Amino acid sequence: MGTTHLMVWMALVLIVGLVGLIIVRERYRPLLALLIVLANTALSAIPSILALTTGPQLGVFNIPHLVGDINIKIDSLSAWFILIINFTSITGVLYGSGYLKTYSHLKTNLELHWVFYILFHLSMVWVCMFDNGIAFLIAWELMSLSSLMLVIFEFQNKQTLKAGINYMVQMHLSVVLLTLGFILLYINTGSFNFEAIAQMSSNKNSIWIFVLLFCGFAIKAGFIPFHTWLPHAHPAAPSHVSGVMSGVIVKLGIYGIFRIIMYLRHDWLLFGEVILLLSVLTALYGIANAAVKYDFKQMLAYCTIENIGIIGIGLGIGLMGIGNGDKTMAVLGFSGALLHTLNHSLFKSLLFFGAGSVYQQTHTRNIERLGGLIKKMPVTAMMFLIGSMAIGGVPPFNGFVSEFIIYNGLFKGLLGFQGISQTILLVLTITGLVIVGGMSLITFTKTFGVIFLGNPRQELPHEPKEASFIMLLPQYLIVAAMLSVALVPQFFFSYANKVVSAAFAIESAGSAVSFAPMVQSIASVGKISMVFIVLMITIFGIRWLIVRKRHSVAYETWGCGYAAPVKKAQYSGQSFTRSFGLLFSFLKGKRTSERIQKEKLYPGQYSYSTHYIDILEEYFVAPLAKRLTFTLNYFQFIQNGQIQSYVLYGLFFIILVFLGTAFNLIY
Amino acid sequence: MVSLLLILLMSLFFTGFIIRTKSILSGRKGPGIFQPMRDIFRLWKKGSVYSTTTSFIFQIAPSAYFASVLMAVLMVPHGRNPGFISFDGDFIMFAYILAFGKFLMIVSALDTGSSFEGMGASREALFSMLVEPAFFILLGSFALFTGQTSFHDIFSTLHYGSQVSYLLGALASFVLVLIAMIENSRMPLDDPKTHLELTMIHEVMILDNSGFDLGTILYTTNLKFAMYGAIISNFFIGVLPYEISIPMFFIIQLGFAIAVGVIESFMARFRMGHNPQFVFILTSVSLLIFFGVLLVLGKFA
Repeated sequence: MGTTHLMVWMALVLIVGLVGLIIVRERYRPLLALLIVLANTALSAIPSILALTTGPQLGVFNIPHLVGDINIKIDSLSAWFILIINFTSITGVLYGSGYLKTYSHLKTNLELHWVFYILFHLSMVWVCMFDNGIAFLIAWELMSLSSLMLVIFEFQNKQTLKAGINYMVQMHLSVVLLTLGFILLYINTGSFNFEAIAQMSSNKNSIWIFVLLFCGFAIKAGFIPFHTWLPHAHPAAPSHVSGVMSGVIVKLGIYGIFRIIMYLRHDWLLFGEVILLLSVLTALYGIANAAVKYDFKQMLAYCTIENIGIIGIGLGIGLMGIGNGDKTMAVLGFSGALLHTLNHSLFKSLLFFGAGSVYQQTHTRNIERLGGLIKKMPVTAMMFLIGSMAIGGVPPFNGFVSEFIIYNGLFKGLLGFQGISQTILLVLTITGLVIVGGMSLITFTKTFGVIFLGNPRQELPHEPKEASFIMLLPQYLIVAAMLSVALVPQFFFSYANKVVSAAFAIESAGSAVSFAPMVQSIASVGKISMVFIVLMITIFGIRWLIVRKRHSVAYETWGCGYAAPVKKAQYSGQSFTRSFGLLFSFLKGKRTSERIQKEKLYPGQYSYSTHYIDILEEYFVAPLAKRLTFTLNYFQFIQNGQIQSYVLYGLFFIILVFLGTAFNLIY
Repeated sequence: MVSLLLILLMSLFFTGFIIRTKSILSGRKGPGIFQPMRDIFRLWKKGSVYSTTTSFIFQIAPSAYFASVLMAVLMVPHGRNPGFISFDGDFIMFAYILAFGKFLMIVSALDTGSSFEGMGASREALFSMLVEPAFFILLGSFALFTGQTSFHDIFSTLHYGSQVSYLLGALASFVLVLIAMIENSRMPLDDPKTHLELTMIHEVMILDNSGFDLGTILYTTNLKFAMYGAIISNFFIGVLPYEISIPMFFIIQLGFAIAVGVIESFMARFRMGHNPQFVFILTSVSLLIFFGVLLVLGKFA
């Protein structure tokens, strides 16, 4: 069965699903959605696995008269991303079917939710399959729109709707840039295919194509300063959607960047350095903002930006490696980026699912109102702890594996580069990555500690209880996948390696010898993680043997002699990061407090609050948008709300196209 | 293997030496060098008090902290003898495994729901974030200097050719001594002898730990000290034969312990607000080392 047939089958499954989801009763919808996602997973996973093991799967899909031949190509790079998409989407459906139970009273909201979900899943898979620019853009647009509909699930909420519109506008900015890039490509080479990029020689146009496409993909991926949609869209969306969005959809931006640099044939060093610099700044900016946020879903969104930065660092190193002719560095950089993509999709969806369970039980996203949840939701707490440690990059979890590979690439480059500017850039990158690691330690100790540990800080609307099995099941699956990456990294590394070798034509025959020590040191990371786990279990065992017969007393927390502790006196998230926020004062804290007026006789209640603002959004994106709307106001007469004039516009356009074709102006 | 045994041996009386130095300098009689270890043994025999607020995190954290430091110790080489674990890029894993223990200790401090312990946890998280770059730039510079990327390879190929490289070694040991001081929450940053919770960092984090767990934490601190001492000694041992390197190891560790004692006797703790600046100095000294390496390698051409 060829790839084209599979494509048709997927479309058929989608149509059956769309119809089916509308017909069946509401109770069975999650089940049907799961079945459809599974069916499409199977249909897309078969060629993907074939692509990873044997070679690229090609196909042509012909729509006569419209766009002609659409090239479908599943190479190992697409396969890598398709498999990630599939895994995360399945866990998303499982989690969502439990998560949405609390919303069962919102009939209208639920009506089309799963329809958009399956559309979302399939469009993401299609994005990875099309080689043709136009088909790619259509799939891309389908993905953006279906995810938009998923984000504005609670459309009654004004804040959600606002976040949705913000998301929509930014995604269309991305599409505009991509479309321009493809048009420029077509003008220069006469083809819309990605592969055509490779034919471009080094000139001004080719640089512009790269810049346009890179910016388009960077908006999706969330590189600064294009990141501003993320911190709004993620908190607004239901948790399973934010899990999938953060886990996968931003990764498709990375996929796009990967795809274009794969065909880059010149200026590697320059692009590598630019991407590296941008990525380090993105990582630092993302995590510094994440550390001070008290809305835990917003924190996770900023943390996604950080991880995109880390992936970008991998890409930058890879490009610099190619530019310098250092294959080992290139392989380490790119495969580190690929593995981090996989790892991040795993632990970020795990964290979002955990956050969703907390939100479902407590109805708040403010960590300062929570506390002590580990006693009520022990399993969720454990999963969140594992996710937090993995994202902080500490062994024996999977986050460390990819960061280790990226570090190795950096050190390899440090030893390999002759130029002083590159050496300094690489050392500063190492420093940046280390600081990012430290900051994520602060961020996640704060988040985990304040949400799950200590005493409850406020009365909750109802007693929280453990999440249901259907919501925990996907989390178990993810943890199993995470541990397999952590303990057998060489298996995943070898496939990532394969993807990189295929994409960048790094011949593996001659380099097998030089890669051996690399694979060995990565395998030893897995072994040491295993030894570490065994060592910890042994020490726990010894402790248990010694302590179990001792008598132990339960008593209140030591309050330095103060015998009436107040729950409000606990260390809060704000106070935990206060000195951090002061030190990095570029994240300006905005303090608003109501002053006591002089004419008042007695002081009344007054409030005091601290907010940290996203300076790029406040001082760069928002003013820019304001100026743009100011200019665009003059064109408001076009949108006047009269259907007649809209029909007229349509007529004008048709006549224009007709005349254009008649006089051979458009062809 | 050699280094593991040496570090374990040294950890038994390292803090004892510090306390002895301090007592001699302040003209007191002072306890013997084995007193800290005796205290720890006594704690190991005691029962415990657990706060009702705490969860299992509080109980597993001290042991996991100990396990992480022990794991890191396994990676430290001794001269020509590599550590138990040695591979390319092992010092990255060294730093991150230590971070694992730190993560759990910080979280376990928050587990008590106390206002003081959260404060200590917050400071510990901040300072360990700030000190990490110094360590990495230092190791990165030496990796560049020797062209190797593992502890053992870096130390065994380290040759001091010119005067500049001696200077690098001296600066490196200065940075490492201060990193060790910060990581173990000692004087310029944190005063282990202070009695006011508001001015503590590490001590306040473990206010609620008692009995076996407290003993484990205290022993882990000793072990960490000996581990950093071993790394410092590696800068000087090189590939010397054991009959010279082992005595040298003890002399350097002793010198390190005495240096810590002297610093603690003659210096006051910094104001908490000034600590970040101090830690940044370490990073800049590391950068100085890095530029020194570039100079030695002639990259400024």
